[in-house]
Amino acid sequence: MKKLSALAKALAIALLIAAAVVLPRSSSAEDDVFLIGLIPEENIFRAIQKHRPFEAYLSKKIGVTVKFTILSRYGDIVDRFVARDMDGAFFGIYTSALAMEKLGVEPVARPVNLDGSTTARGYLFTRKDSGIRAIEDMEDKRAAFVDKATATGYIFAVAYLSENGIKKPESFFSEYYFTGSHESTIYAVLDGRADIGAAKGRVMDKLSAKDPMLKEEIFIIAKSGSLPDNTLMIRKDIEPEMKQKLRDALLTLDRNPEGAEILEKLGIKKFVDASRENFGAVNELAVKAGIDIGE
Amino acid sequence: MLYRIVNRICGLLTVVALLCLIPSSAKAETIGLILTHGIYEYERIHDSLVSYLKKEGHADRVKFLIQRPYPDPIALGNASRKLIVADVDIILTYGAAPTRAMLRERPRIPVLYAGVYEPIAAQIASKNATGVCSKFNISSLVRYLRTSTTINNLGVVYYSAEKESTHQMQELQDISKKYGFEIKPLDLKYKTDLHTMLNDVEADALMVTSSPAANSSLPTILRIATSRKIPTASLLTSDKITAMITLSSDPVRQGELLGGMLVKVLNGTPPQSIKPVCSKKIELVYNVKDANRMGLKISMDLVTEATKLINK
Repeated sequence: MKKLSALAKALAIALLIAAAVVLPRSSSAEDDVFLIGLIPEENIFRAIQKHRPFEAYLSKKIGVTVKFTILSRYGDIVDRFVARDMDGAFFGIYTSALAMEKLGVEPVARPVNLDGSTTARGYLFTRKDSGIRAIEDMEDKRAAFVDKATATGYIFAVAYLSENGIKKPESFFSEYYFTGSHESTIYAVLDGRADIGAAKGRVMDKLSAKDPMLKEEIFIIAKSGSLPDNTLMIRKDIEPEMKQKLRDALLTLDRNPEGAEILEKLGIKKFVDASRENFGAVNELAVKAGIDIGE
Repeated sequence: MLYRIVNRICGLLTVVALLCLIPSSAKAETIGLILTHGIYEYERIHDSLVSYLKKEGHADRVKFLIQRPYPDPIALGNASRKLIVADVDIILTYGAAPTRAMLRERPRIPVLYAGVYEPIAAQIASKNATGVCSKFNISSLVRYLRTSTTINNLGVVYYSAEKESTHQMQELQDISKKYGFEIKPLDLKYKTDLHTMLNDVEADALMVTSSPAANSSLPTILRIATSRKIPTASLLTSDKITAMITLSSDPVRQGELLGGMLVKVLNGTPPQSIKPVCSKKIELVYNVKDANRMGLKISMDLVTEATKLINK
């Protein structure tokens, strides 16, 4: 009898575990919090301040407390997404493609920028007074990139170099480092801490709008093609009802005054639907850079 | 008797001949150094140079003859002449004003410099001279200052008798036109006017150029500005009292680069065969404590980009 009781307990535990794994989940480990990661695209202090009202708004709309958390760096975003048991994340261009491939996350929505675009470009740039104008001037110079896992802040530059016959950037430049954010890469070149940098064009345009000197000091050597901008991806096991609520909350944000205020603070026009098909150009860029996303 | 005298003379001649045969590398070369009084940045360059020589095993090859003049043209000129008369083997100078003062004396001795913002603009050119430039972008310092406070009037401490300082002043004039603020020049021609100038200037922020004359009074300048709650920015690092923002070419790196050049000259390479180089390592120091004390908003851009934060 005792043996039977132990067997029943074991069976019950096994069933509970199986149910936890198989059944769709409404949100993260803490059921009352929907945790969304943010890539460290800009100064993290500013990013946190900007997203506070957005958290409150989404919490109200989907009926679960939404919390945003900054993912400290691009490189291990996919691992952190899993380790911190996140429900979703605004992934960057390359990390979106990577997370879809590795975790099977699903695209929900992406922002429309103030200029109406939903795509981003990478810029490869230098200071105007550096004398660097083409690939042949770049040898033995110092380069600053954002992170290995950024399309506009690294992969585009590697693809550009590769297309111009430079297969090993690490030995082509005298120094080669990652700053961790697009803004820091731009400042590194402006200050003279690096001779060449690669970063997202939109971040540079935003800084230029605040700083009239920037356009006079920066020379853009090359621009990437259009790539799908940051996208909100959620875990594939989030229940469809929750996914729909979230999508509705985002896509209608521009249709009420509270939402419009949040959009203004975020510096975007509205959100639009996102799909896997948007990412073809990212895969092509990775191939040019000699990167296999599936690896 | 005669035999003894001849023998002694022969002995003496042998010793002299032997002394002449000792390779020159075994003897320490005398390095004349102009280390302007009261400039912390120059002290750091020199400390770094000495560390470099020790690390690379060249410390025993040199002995320093140091002149510590005040940063005025007469004192710098006198110090230069003294080193030339002392017939030193190599001369080191830190800063544009001391380097210019030395080159004006047209020495035949090799001159190696560091801490010169822009050698061409400072009119530092001689076939006997080469060195390390400390150029960086002043516009970056203005940019960082603007993230901390609104600037309508920028006070600039400079010295019109120093080429480098007036060149930086001109650069700031050009930048001010782009950003749309006014420059309030504070010329240190008469140092006795310093307190009055600083107490009277109507400025939203104060910038100190790399002028040795200004930097030897840096603690006083910063103290007055802070007491008037005027944010400060400096192009040279300082010791105990620092500007709210300092952007400078890293003095440690400059010392290492200069050390490399000195070793080459010690090994017989003429200065004209050594190309001047610019140190590319930039130091950005943000004095958060002072920003707080003045009730300014903390610049997150500065917190992120700073290589050093001063909190205590």
